[in-house]
Amino acid sequence: MLVVEDEALIAAMVEDMLASLGAVTVGPAGTLEKAMALAASEEIDAAIVDLNLRSERSDPVAEILRQRNIPVLFATGYGAGAVADGERVLEKPYTMDKLSAALTTTFKDH
Amino acid sequence: MTESVQRRSGAEGEALPPSSAPERAAAEVAALASGRENSAAARVRELAALYRLAEQLQAAQSFEELYEAALDSIVDALRCQRASILLFDNAGIMRFVAWRGLSEGYRTAVDGHSPWTPDVRDPAPICVTDILTSSEPDALKATIAAEGIRGLAFIPLISGRRLVGKFMCYYPAPHVFTDDEVNLAHTIGRQLGLAVARRKAEDELRNSEERFRLMAEHAPVMIWVSDAQGRCLHLNRMLRTFWGVDEAAMASFDWGSTIHPEDAANVASQIGEALAGRRSVTITGRYRDAKGRYRVLQTSATPRFSHDGDFAGMIGVNVDITERAEAEEQRELLLSELNHRVKNTLAVVQGIARQTFKQDMISSVALAAFEDRLQALGQAQNLLTQSNWQSALLDQLADLVIKTSGVTRERVSVSGPTILLPPKEALAIALALHELCTNARKYGALSNPSGRIALDWTASEAPQPILRLAWRESGGPPVSQPEHRGFGTLLLRRALAHDLNGEVDLSFEPSGLICRIEAPLMKAPGGFM
Repeated sequence: MLVVEDEALIAAMVEDMLASLGAVTVGPAGTLEKAMALAASEEIDAAIVDLNLRSERSDPVAEILRQRNIPVLFATGYGAGAVADGERVLEKPYTMDKLSAALTTTFKDH
Repeated sequence: MTESVQRRSGAEGEALPPSSAPERAAAEVAALASGRENSAAARVRELAALYRLAEQLQAAQSFEELYEAALDSIVDALRCQRASILLFDNAGIMRFVAWRGLSEGYRTAVDGHSPWTPDVRDPAPICVTDILTSSEPDALKATIAAEGIRGLAFIPLISGRRLVGKFMCYYPAPHVFTDDEVNLAHTIGRQLGLAVARRKAEDELRNSEERFRLMAEHAPVMIWVSDAQGRCLHLNRMLRTFWGVDEAAMASFDWGSTIHPEDAANVASQIGEALAGRRSVTITGRYRDAKGRYRVLQTSATPRFSHDGDFAGMIGVNVDITERAEAEEQRELLLSELNHRVKNTLAVVQGIARQTFKQDMISSVALAAFEDRLQALGQAQNLLTQSNWQSALLDQLADLVIKTSGVTRERVSVSGPTILLPPKEALAIALALHELCTNARKYGALSNPSGRIALDWTASEAPQPILRLAWRESGGPPVSQPEHRGFGTLLLRRALAHDLNGEVDLSFEPSGLICRIEAPLMKAPGGFM
């Protein structure tokens, strides 16, 4: 599971949560550059991508993942209106239950 | 009435005959003395004069031309050397407006004198054979005689039965007015009256049009008029300047080509609908100005109709709201950024808690409860951001919290009037409702399959409205007073009461928990309730 998140503490927490859910974290990537590199090269089942990375939008990462047919879950504090219709959004702050439910839906839909 | 004054009834058009034998004789003498033509020739001459007058009155370009034509006709048709025209002024006083052969002293002396008041209806001409034998005051007689006038007539100028003025004809010797003369004079008076009234109406209309044209032209807003197809008919100065269009090029100006490509479809469809439905419309769009910059214009347009009620097009006002729109966008951006930051910070706090209290220090249940609370706070934050951090609707807030607390919505009935909560109160109530939901799910009415919750509230009237909110659980497992007071109870009893500046009552009834909140309802900034 690719984690793209520029806040270290949030990244560590997501890693924790994923570990509890039995998933292995790829990354976490804190910059757009690193995130794009990982998105292009790693073996990934899905990605949790923070919409904003140091004031840059992370859409290019999502684009690479889409091309590889890897499902993306956007994490954001902006609210659901910040992404295009049809995208999966996880609103910050989120609980492990919410993360688990969101991942389940993502894999089911995909 | 004196013997020397002939008064005629306008309706009958017949002269009162001179009543005394000497006067009849004098009239005959006067007629002979004037070498009057035979009546057929005179009739032809009169008709020709009237025809010429009608033509000239029609062609007159100004009041002066009108008066000159009338005076020409009067002295010619009535064979007098001297004549004058007088009109009521705005104060209802008869004033000289044109004359022939009258001294200034005379005009000053008799100015304002009139046998009629402005409200008289359809008055008849008054003919004075000889002023010296009339019953006028001596002073007036003396003034008139001193001007070398003996015979004179007052002929009303009438428009639509209303008296607008009079004309006078003067004779140096006593003058007996024949029926023909009086009829002719009366006819001239009617023509002149109509012409004066028409000219006045035209002038007033022109003045009024000019006034409104100036108003529209120089108004500090952009004003336009379109035809029924939306094509440009007129642009006022400010709008011409905005688009850089010459007055001459205005009618062929294609305003549609200045709309921002991204707004073109929206503007076209809205204006199209308004034209088709003939209704008012308010449209916001970006338009390119003469300098090539795009400005945000808010257009308010309203349909206009001809006198016959036919749809003639639209008339509209454009207001440049570029700065306002930019400020609004900036504010929204800022607010959205703030919301993002705050929620990101909440997530960071969550991360810190996870790192600080590893599983060996704290139960995962406690950690989950903490994360749930953070999430409830984040949701309330969202709702407040949607309203620019001014207020949140209580029912929306309740719905949101119930949903995010993982409670089955069908088991909670929510009812109450629309209430706007200020931000602080909204956050406090969101956290409180979250605690109540969580508690109900774990121990209360929602911990079995059949329990229910009723959430309702009321607000008393101003000046100091009180919010009374009640959370009532029923159908859950039997309730007993909890042994220790957790954070939930603390949050409800202390924090909520404190934040709301009100009372919070928790009663653990056997049938179910009841939580009552009573607090003064603060007015939300920018709130409308």
